Amino acid sequence: MSFEPKILSFFCHWCCYAAADSAGVARYQYPPNNRVIRVMCTGRIDPRFILEAFYVGADGVLVGG
Amino acid sequence: MEAGRSPNIEIITLAELKELSGKPGNFKAKIHVKPRYVDPNKCTSCGMCMTYCPKEVVDEYNERLTFTKAARIDYAQAVPTVYYLDEKECLRLQHESCQLCANVCGPNAIFFDQQPEERELHVGAVVLALGFGRVPEEVLEKYGYGKYPDVLTSLELERMTCASGPTEGEVLRPSDFTHPQRIAFLQCVGSRDVTCGNGYCSSVCCMYAMKEASVVKEHLPEAEIDLFFMDIRTQGKGFDEAFNRAVEKYGFRTIYARVPRVDQVGRKLALTYVTEDGRTHRDFYDMVVLSVGLDAPAGAEELAKRLGVELNHYGFAQTKVATPLETNVPGIFVAGAFQGPKDIPESVVQAQGVAAKCSELLAEVRGQDAVHKEFPPEDEELEREEARIGVFVCHCGVNIAGVVDVKEVARYAATLPGVVYTEDVLYSCSQDTLNELVKKIKENRLNRVVIAACSPRTHEPLFQETLREAGLNPALIEMANIRDQCAWVHAEDPEAATQKAKDQVRMAVAKAKRLTPLELQKVSVTPSALVIGGGAAGLQAALSVAEQGFEVYLVEKEAELGGNLRRVTGLLSGEDPQKILKDLITKVEEHPRIKVFTGTTVENVSGYVGNFTSTLRKEEGSEVINHGVVILATGGREHRPDRYGLGANERVITQLDLEAELKGKAGKLARARSVVMIQCVGSRGDDLNYCSKLCCQQAVKNALRIKKRYPKKDVYILFRDMRTYGFSEDAYREARNSGVIFLRYKPEAKPELVQKGKAQFVKVYDALLGEELLIPADLLVLSVGIAPGENEELSKVIKAPLTGDGFFLEAHVKLMPVELPVEGVYVCGLAHGPKPLDETLAQARAAAAKAAIPLAKGFVEVAPIVSRVDQKKCIGCGICAELCPFGAIEMVKVGKRKKAQTITASCKGCGICASHCPVLAISMGGFTDEAILAQIEAFGAFVEKELEKEKAGEEAA
Amino acid sequence: MANKKSGKVLVLGGGITGVQAALDLAALGYYVYLVEKKASIGGVMAQLDKTFPTNDCSI
Repeated sequence: MSFEPKILSFFCHWCCYAAADSAGVARYQYPPNNRVIRVMCTGRIDPRFILEAFYVGADGVLVGG
Repeated sequence: MEAGRSPNIEIITLAELKELSGKPGNFKAKIHVKPRYVDPNKCTSCGMCMTYCPKEVVDEYNERLTFTKAARIDYAQAVPTVYYLDEKECLRLQHESCQLCANVCGPNAIFFDQQPEERELHVGAVVLALGFGRVPEEVLEKYGYGKYPDVLTSLELERMTCASGPTEGEVLRPSDFTHPQRIAFLQCVGSRDVTCGNGYCSSVCCMYAMKEASVVKEHLPEAEIDLFFMDIRTQGKGFDEAFNRAVEKYGFRTIYARVPRVDQVGRKLALTYVTEDGRTHRDFYDMVVLSVGLDAPAGAEELAKRLGVELNHYGFAQTKVATPLETNVPGIFVAGAFQGPKDIPESVVQAQGVAAKCSELLAEVRGQDAVHKEFPPEDEELEREEARIGVFVCHCGVNIAGVVDVKEVARYAATLPGVVYTEDVLYSCSQDTLNELVKKIKENRLNRVVIAACSPRTHEPLFQETLREAGLNPALIEMANIRDQCAWVHAEDPEAATQKAKDQVRMAVAKAKRLTPLELQKVSVTPSALVIGGGAAGLQAALSVAEQGFEVYLVEKEAELGGNLRRVTGLLSGEDPQKILKDLITKVEEHPRIKVFTGTTVENVSGYVGNFTSTLRKEEGSEVINHGVVILATGGREHRPDRYGLGANERVITQLDLEAELKGKAGKLARARSVVMIQCVGSRGDDLNYCSKLCCQQAVKNALRIKKRYPKKDVYILFRDMRTYGFSEDAYREARNSGVIFLRYKPEAKPELVQKGKAQFVKVYDALLGEELLIPADLLVLSVGIAPGENEELSKVIKAPLTGDGFFLEAHVKLMPVELPVEGVYVCGLAHGPKPLDETLAQARAAAAKAAIPLAKGFVEVAPIVSRVDQKKCIGCGICAELCPFGAIEMVKVGKRKKAQTITASCKGCGICASHCPVLAISMGGFTDEAILAQIEAFGAFVEKELEKEKAGEEAA
Repeated sequence: MANKKSGKVLVLGGGITGVQAALDLAALGYYVYLVEKKASIGGVMAQLDKTFPTNDCSI
């Protein structure tokens, strides 16, 4: 079985989260490996969040802003 | 584009104004509304009707490049987000033959028997924002459009470069679907062309051509792109810079030539053109893009006739410089491209300005017809109880349920800690489901709600409102996006999508448990404005705010009002600028609600939107005033560079000096036989980095005035690009026809001043003759541009940033052109950037409209996502205050120590402060550390499960 | 109703200008009828992919 990374994504409400919505509206298909946490701005992301994500087992963290 | 949600905006689509009677303040309007055949209250915009509609139709939204259906929505984000049936194309409506859409429509929203409707509206004012029309195709045919498939219009290319467009963002030659290697953009198609009746400049094409060329280059880095200009007209704020940057970055070739026609030779398109040196060229391209201009809006003529509104000779609304937003009919106003071709920021400015204009007219009845929604009091006791979470999983018709196993997600949700109620619903956003939701919340005493459906960006406000109706705090809802970011994007893997939906629901539930009620904070507003600057912009802004019913303090540092406009003595329109100014001053001085302070400076501005305190310094002492908003109208000043002997040589003057000559005895002018004007002296890259926007108009205007008064004098205008945009192109043409000689010079070969004995000449290279000319310049007039005023001091006081050029930086170049990043502070006129008088006056009104919004409301409402400082934990390091991009954190003294404090009214909730606080003293409403960490932890369960699966898989293997 | 001033405004055209005017009028305390002849508001701006000079998305 090939490696499937488990990704936690932090998306900015105003840009990347909106873009992810648009991708849906356009029915783009992408792999279902990520889970999303919405924040009002990527500036909100405390380095602790990223460490915590890795701690609980994320293979990757995507910050989209 | 989010006008859809205001309870005070009623959008009536497929409708036209048929009749208007009455007078300002009291009009009766008859509206004809065509049937949509879809009930907007029932339609959930699931798109089934469009999927099943068998009738293909050419897609106008996509510039006829692809097909759509007779049952459709023009684009996914359309407002209202309701499908409609195209009456002309629908098989059922035309031939009574099909009703597939009605059969598949889950909520039964389709009604073939809908009838047109006549509505009578009672309104106080009318705004004509008709936009612009299309240049007729005959005009484009001259360039091979319609005949050669690879000749495209700019709007067609626009759709093509769009990722959700007909080619999914690929730039392809329609003839053979290959990528074009060489592309030409032809400017001024249907503009600056008297042969097609459009003598004006469309003012936007140079910018959009550069944008499209840049986007194409991003898609096709190999492509070679040539742009053919008559003049490069990027006169807007920051546009020159952006243009040059793009040329440099992408290596575009810009050619000064008007291409007369396009021919097809083999698989290529041939352009034959003459450059300014007189040489003929022939080049081959794979694609030709026509930068089509803006025409007068279709149907405007007929409508104008019905309303008695005067149009200009091009079919746009006729307005005056002094009143750029008013038609000849009182109470009927105009804004946007219908007033004259203009770009988005200018349109937004006029839209805001026209709002102020209406508000001035209707000030006494403001609020009379506004709708306010009332909500029951919150059940605080219930909110304090341990989390009782209700999870509602939405099918969204088949949009979610077609992929995700919704029932399974609901079953799973019921097992999560804190969840006391779960349900799967067909359409969570439909009105009856919302009513049900209120009932369920009450019946089950829910105090936290999770909606697993679509995007919180579009739907959270709706559910928040529902919570309020149910007596819950709106902050107690969390959404899990299992449609846009799940079902729609993982359509081919239902199992994984269902798993993802479960995980997102679990994460949402984890967050919901930690949500706390947040108070919608209201801060009261001092109902007055401080206007800084008493020039045209400040006067107009002050007057508008005062007319809207609020007190104004108008501060001018000089001893008299009027600013730069005092020195302008004529206008292209024939209006008298001094009369315009005098009218403004008189009205301001006589206005009971305006207090004028001349010879006064603003020393200190503190506070935030709604509650500012400022110190006004006069020679004889200072005064402290309280006000709710600030309008910056500090103006600019004539740039007087040390070039061509300006200041030392009395036969060298500026355009403003010339204005004085033209008004008075004209001594210098009378003595000169030959007058030479040089444009862009010190501008566009020398002392000033930018274009001052108005000098070309001013030069043409003054040249015409000279020619009128002294027909025998020779007048030369040496220019880089003549930027007589919009209707002032007419004056440019008139100047040429009346014998003013225009010569283009290159920035690398600037004209020089040469003295020979007593005579004075300008030496300039003439491209057509290929040699240097010596032009007699008995009087040399320099177009020197506009330098920023002394903005730096004020910028620091107000904490509002300046552009690199020293003008105030607006909050958003396109959509917030008069707002500054600091809330409650607005800008207009030359303080924002160089612009002619009509634009200044419109912008002053725009600033007045924006400034009046908090004043009219009487309070500022703050979304509860703001930051909060726990002052017990705060160590006063000040990192947060320094980092806050909105100046929303101040350091205050608490006892003996400094502590951070959020200025709630200015906070945008970005959370930069919270993520940087070294002692975790700052929490964000709705996005607390605990809530986010809980989400992360809940994410961890997904990982565990995956690991288990893998392990199981390995063992099995 | 005949002689009383109305606190409502009719905005003809649902492009960026009309929409912006409607939003500001509503914010100023007026009721707005935003009348558009097509099936949705947004006008030409909704057709634009990106805008000059910042290349922001236009929707």
